[in-house]
Amino acid sequence: MRLPAQPGERLDRTRPLTFTFEGATVEAFEGDTIASALYAGGRRVFSRSFKYHRPRGLLCCTGSCPNCLMQVDGAPGIRACIEPARAGAVVRAQNVLGSLDRDALAVIGKIGGPFTPVGFYYRTMIRPRWAWPYYEKVLRNLAGLGRVDRHGRRTRRFDTEHRRTQVLVIGGSEGGVTAARAAAAAGEQVVLVDEGLSLELGGLDELGIEVVAPARAIGIYEGGLVPVDAGNVLLRFRAERIVVATGSLDQPLVFPGNDLVGVMLPNGIRRLVREWALRPGERAVVIAPAVEPIVDDLRAAGTEVARVFDLNERPPKEIVARGRKGRLASVRVDGETVACDLLVMSSGRQPAYSLLAQAGARIEYDAATGIFVPRDLPANVEAAGSVAGTSHAVPNLFPASAGKRRFVCLCEDVTTKDVRRAIAEGFDSLELAKRYTTVTMGPCQGRLCHLASVRLYARETGSDEAAIGTTTARPPWSPVTLGLLAGRGHEPVKHTSLHRRHEELGARMMWAGAWRRVHSYGDPAEETRAVHRAVGVIDVSTLGKLVVSGPDAVAFLERLYPNRFVDLKPGRIRYGVLGTDAGRIMDDGTIGRLSEQQLYVTTTSTGAEAVLEWFEWWNAVWRMDVEIVDVTGALAAVNVAGPNARELLGRLTELDVSPDGFRYLDLKEAPVAGTPCLLLRIGFVGELGYEIHCPSPLAEHLWDTLLERGADLGVRPFGLEAQRILRLEKQHIIVGQDTDSESNAIDAGMPWIVKLDKEDFVGKWALEHLQERGPRERLVGFELDGAAVPAEGSQVVVAGRPAGRVTSARWSDELQRSIGLAWVPPALAEEGSRLEIRLNGSLQPAVVRARPFFDPEGTRLRS
Amino acid sequence: MSDLAFLSPSLASAVDGVSPRYRSPLEHALAGAGDALRDLSTLGKLEVRRELDAALEAGAPEVVRIAPNRTLVLCEAEAAPALAAQLGAVDVSAALAGLALSGERLMRRLTDLDLDGLPAMGAVAGIQCTVLRDEDEFRLFFAQEYGDHVAAVVLDAMAGLR
Ligand code: FES
Repeated sequence: MRLPAQPGERLDRTRPLTFTFEGATVEAFEGDTIASALYAGGRRVFSRSFKYHRPRGLLCCTGSCPNCLMQVDGAPGIRACIEPARAGAVVRAQNVLGSLDRDALAVIGKIGGPFTPVGFYYRTMIRPRWAWPYYEKVLRNLAGLGRVDRHGRRTRRFDTEHRRTQVLVIGGSEGGVTAARAAAAAGEQVVLVDEGLSLELGGLDELGIEVVAPARAIGIYEGGLVPVDAGNVLLRFRAERIVVATGSLDQPLVFPGNDLVGVMLPNGIRRLVREWALRPGERAVVIAPAVEPIVDDLRAAGTEVARVFDLNERPPKEIVARGRKGRLASVRVDGETVACDLLVMSSGRQPAYSLLAQAGARIEYDAATGIFVPRDLPANVEAAGSVAGTSHAVPNLFPASAGKRRFVCLCEDVTTKDVRRAIAEGFDSLELAKRYTTVTMGPCQGRLCHLASVRLYARETGSDEAAIGTTTARPPWSPVTLGLLAGRGHEPVKHTSLHRRHEELGARMMWAGAWRRVHSYGDPAEETRAVHRAVGVIDVSTLGKLVVSGPDAVAFLERLYPNRFVDLKPGRIRYGVLGTDAGRIMDDGTIGRLSEQQLYVTTTSTGAEAVLEWFEWWNAVWRMDVEIVDVTGALAAVNVAGPNARELLGRLTELDVSPDGFRYLDLKEAPVAGTPCLLLRIGFVGELGYEIHCPSPLAEHLWDTLLERGADLGVRPFGLEAQRILRLEKQHIIVGQDTDSESNAIDAGMPWIVKLDKEDFVGKWALEHLQERGPRERLVGFELDGAAVPAEGSQVVVAGRPAGRVTSARWSDELQRSIGLAWVPPALAEEGSRLEIRLNGSLQPAVVRARPFFDPEGTRLRS
Repeated sequence: MSDLAFLSPSLASAVDGVSPRYRSPLEHALAGAGDALRDLSTLGKLEVRRELDAALEAGAPEVVRIAPNRTLVLCEAEAAPALAAQLGAVDVSAALAGLALSGERLMRRLTDLDLDGLPAMGAVAGIQCTVLRDEDEFRLFFAQEYGDHVAAVVLDAMAGLR
């Protein structure tokens, strides 16, 4: 039922629309909110309370309370009174079993009261311990704020937009509009953000003021960052000057029955009548300071005003509201009972200072006006309008009436009794009590309960509001959908230049740091066979690659690595293990000498960034004449390995690839398939192999040519899984897999790499110490008697005691054995030592192998 | 001294009449994306790690100062190796992808950089980029391995504005 057209109403009566509520069609006009349309259709119960499932109706109509939370198009916790009615929207009640009007769970409110006082879940359901998960499940179903569809997909799109402006005005209240006009007149760039509740925003764009509405500021962060919830877009404003004009909020009185359906705040009445042309009730009682505007609104709606109590004149000693089935029926004030279906009540208005407090303002109680006001605003933040503290409220929020539950906090269903109990239990500071009772922690974020709880605290502890103070204001100031904060959820991912080729070949991909790499092309065992029998190609573009050059380049690496490089000849390569100050293994790779003053360093795929930082840091410390250029992304790399590798490479380059022309550990620069390349003859996978590095835009060409020209040689791409098996056959370690942050090169079986006779290098003292002390454990190869493969991390057992751990293990098709690497006590690090490995609960005998399983002499590698 | 030819894609040469196909890191991702985005990846790009003196600067096609001792030079792809030698620069043509897009609104969805304070370096689509501006057109240069990612984020942001 609508009133005749009201001056300034929001409705466009020429544009009707419909949506559904619990399956039934609801009629609305453009300009309605979901709540106003439902109200027009006669609905009075809008939600069931959090804990007791008491019926609740519209209270504030301004998005400041929990009373109208509903599920809209699957999204829970939507405030129906500020959510625009959209054609076709699917609206449902939340937190009910059955229907809003007959919620089966309301029984909790009837019998549960004495059994479910505040904090009961900390006390009554904690034993037996194992039962808590079950209790929790039940409680979660009973209490709550709607349901998230956990199997649902992203149905709504949320974007983030970064904005800058000179002046950001938050709130379209009178003060806000005045400030915006003044700033615009002074030639400043102004954006005004409004929740969509203000009616006077017309004409501002003509002044060059950008109005963003409906939108809500979530908080004020460092550096003038103000995230604004604009529905589907999170606007991250950076403003030079912020004007907060969030106005003031009606504060409810606390009396028995104050949560009955039909008890409303003055602003709610105003909106119902003036904006949506609705009659809020038939017969009203008003208890408030400043009663005239309320009475005007009621009269305009044709509501009979039965009785008015002006708090400014004489605060009543007793207020008790009584209801039938949760709906207001009468009010008794100081002994006088008045029948009514509407009670408009308020103790006054409190500045909505939260954003100012977040920005750093001090909040102080002003006894003269009875409200908390912001003081000492930080530079660049201003308060305009009533938020600055021009409102007032009567301190007497609690008429001393005896009677039933009086709710201090509607969001969390906390009564005055609960708060008293918390104080009795020793939660005597406001911040502690807040966490225990959860008052101010619900959807309203303290808008309607903070002042009340402070007053109650003051009264119960014989103190006053000024001494009690406020709780810390934190974002979000308005409830915000997690999806909006999450945004689009793009995870940065690195692709090699051959990514499409791998996809085309149907590769199974895996993560390696931020990179996507090939796990296999379907059959890792077959891939290892190709490398052993013919030739395989693997994309190793993810390797870190650095060019280190300058007069001090060699001396620089000499100081960084435990290896020696002064004797590394141009055109030659050496394996290097990079250590930390404490001598621990940080990364490994190859170092090739391009010329007297240029070196080419490769790192592991996942260690590239750390190594680059490490190099740059030491370069800055030592101030040597060295330049470090990261060419990781500039170059793609393909490793060509297998007995046919030489033949294949020979077909693509003019380079002399004969065993003497291109020796093991040689480095050459030459075109391959017309592509300028750097070639390294190294052999991680244990067969004759070449690593070919080329400019990334030419990688596909190189790859395609290798596969084409190698077809008759049995060429086959292989992935990381095959590589892992192949390198394990050679007992080549993978840093980070076989080593951890404690491992050092000596224990890891590479003492030959550590040159303690060098003058100095990073970690030298630590390695000297380790050398002296002797190893505590050793990394060794092992083979299992059976065919089973232990999981990585499996226990090594010696004489029934845990003595070490497996770091890698695989089945080798080539060797027809289960092989691996493990850390074992030094005494067992001898060829042929016996140990056991725990596997599926039983112990499997294994033998230590000190030398590579495959081609121990390295003849194939060097062929 | 090695001239680090293996860093310069423009030094590719034809073999048996087949010249290596230059593949931009954005080529696959932008296929079918229409002409709202321009792929600049094939440009020659040099990184100079010192102050460029005016005389050299005059000879270079486009010079972008990134940091006090870091300058990005943009040129024709073929000119990169020679210019690199002349300027004592590193040829980073292969390392950087380049993408041109237009619209301030679109950029605001991708970065919190001050768009009135360009050129600058900062995160766009979550990736460190060098960003240039020419009226309503923005050019991004970034590590090529993020090509697919950046293209996907930009295309997605464009879809959000449609
Ligand atoms: S009635 Fe909607 S939030 Fe209060």
